[in-house]
Amino acid sequence: MARFLAVSNRKGGVGKSTTAVMLAHAAACWGNQRVLVMDLDTQCNASLMLAGGEAFAKARRAGLTIADYIYDRFDNVADDESGYVLNGIGDVAHALTRQGRVSLLPGSQKLEDIQGELFLKQSKKDLDADAVSVQVRGRMRRMMRHFGMDFDLVVLDCPPGLSFAALAALDLADLVLVPFRPDFVSQFALDQVAQLVERVETHDALEDVPLAERRYVCLANTLKGAGEERMLLDQLALDHPLLRTRMPLLDSIARAFDWDERKKTMEQKYQDALPYLRALHDEVFAAPQLRPELEPAA
Amino acid sequence: MTRRTKALSGASQDAYFRRVLKSFPDVGEEARERIVRRLRGEIAQLRVRQGAHEAAGAVGESAAEAGNGEAIEVHAGGSAAPADRETMAGSPSRRAAVATAAEPFDPFAINVIVVLRTAGKDAALKALNGIGDADNLRLLAREQRLSVDDDLSTTEALTAAIVAAAERRIANRRAAAGGH
Repeated sequence: MARFLAVSNRKGGVGKSTTAVMLAHAAACWGNQRVLVMDLDTQCNASLMLAGGEAFAKARRAGLTIADYIYDRFDNVADDESGYVLNGIGDVAHALTRQGRVSLLPGSQKLEDIQGELFLKQSKKDLDADAVSVQVRGRMRRMMRHFGMDFDLVVLDCPPGLSFAALAALDLADLVLVPFRPDFVSQFALDQVAQLVERVETHDALEDVPLAERRYVCLANTLKGAGEERMLLDQLALDHPLLRTRMPLLDSIARAFDWDERKKTMEQKYQDALPYLRALHDEVFAAPQLRPELEPAA
Repeated sequence: MTRRTKALSGASQDAYFRRVLKSFPDVGEEARERIVRRLRGEIAQLRVRQGAHEAAGAVGESAAEAGNGEAIEVHAGGSAAPADRETMAGSPSRRAAVATAAEPFDPFAINVIVVLRTAGKDAALKALNGIGDADNLRLLAREQRLSVDDDLSTTEALTAAIVAAAERRIANRRAAAGGH
C-alpha cells in the first residue's frame, strides 16, 4: 500500500501545487518510486504542470478526472479505477530500466459542484447534516485510498479552503506537508491546518501534542532573505514543526512549470533550484510517516 | 582609489538616514521621520562606503557642509545598477570620524515575541532596555509590527509599550486559533 503525502494549506498562493509536483518528480527520479499525483484543487495547476493543456483537456473530455471518478463511483467503488489515471506523465525523463514514474489523476473544476451534489444525495439517506458530512468525507477518503494499491506514493495536491475533498485528504495522509510564505497571516493559516490535522480545537490543545509527534510539517517557501522572514520563522518554530530545508524565491522554479512536451533531466528542468529540491526530497522522505511499510515476517 | 562599499536597504537604510539626520540639531524628530519616509519611497538601495554607514550619527553638524566628496551611491527606483550618485558627508576629516562607530542597529536582533514566549516578560524588558535608544526602539517596533503610540518618547515608555504590543499579538493569535 502506498504512503499518502498531502500538500495542504488553507491559504492560497503558497506554492502547494508547485511543491507537490516537484516532490513527485524527485520521488520518482531519485527515490525510484511509483508516484501518483491526485489533483484535488479545482484550479488544476498540478494537472496543467504535469500533462499540459492538450492532454488535460482530452482527459476532461473523456470524463477521466478526479471529479468524474468520485461522481461515477461514489456508490460503487470498483477495481478499475486505474482507467482514470494518466501514466508516465510529466516532462522529466526517467531511465527506462527504472520503475520510478509519475502518474496523474487529473483535477477538475467540477469537483466543487459534485461535492454539493454528493452531500444532497447522501442527505436523502440521513437527515443529520453533521452525519452526512462525515459520511461524504469518509466515503471520499476511502475512494482516494483505493488508488494506493498500485503506487508507492500518492501525493494529494489539496485545494485551499475546507472542502470535503480537502478534509478527506487530511484524514487520509500519513504526512501533511504545509508550504507557507512567511508573512503575518501565515501564522493563522498554519494554526488552522495544524488543528485540523491533529484534530484539536484550541491552541492550548495543540501545544499538548509534542512537535516531534505531529502528523504535519511546514515548509517555508518563496523566501527572499529578509529580516522580517527570519523573525516570523523563529516565532512559528515555537508552535509548529518546520523543515530545515527552506525554499528561496527562484525564477528557475517558476520557469520549471511552463509546459514543455520535451523530456528533460532533473538538472535541466530545475536548474539552480535543484540543490534545494534535493534537500527537500531527502528531508521529507526521511520522515518516519513516509517510510515504506515493512513486509510482514514469513 | 577604490573603496569597499556596503548595500543598505529597508530598515538598515532607514536607520542610516535617521542617524545622519539626528546629527542636525535643527531637524526635529517629526521632520526627521518625514524625511526618512520620503527617502524610503524614493530610494531602493544605498551603497555606502564601508565604515561610513556604521556611524552616520558621528558625522555631526559638519555634514551640512556636504558637497565636496562622493561617499554615497544611491540606487533609485529599484534599478540594479547605480542610477544616481549623490554627495553627502564628504570631507576627509568626516570620513575619519565615521569610520570609528558601531554596527547599524538591526531591528530583528531581538525577536520580542520569541523572547517573551520563551523567557518571559522580564527577560523581554531587559533585552529591550539594552537598546537604550528611542529611535532604535521605534524602528524595532515598526519592523516587528508591534504597534506603539507615536507620542511615546522615553526609552522606558517605548520598551513597556513594545512588550505590551507583543503580549497583545500573542493573545490575538491564540484567540484566533481557539474554539471553532
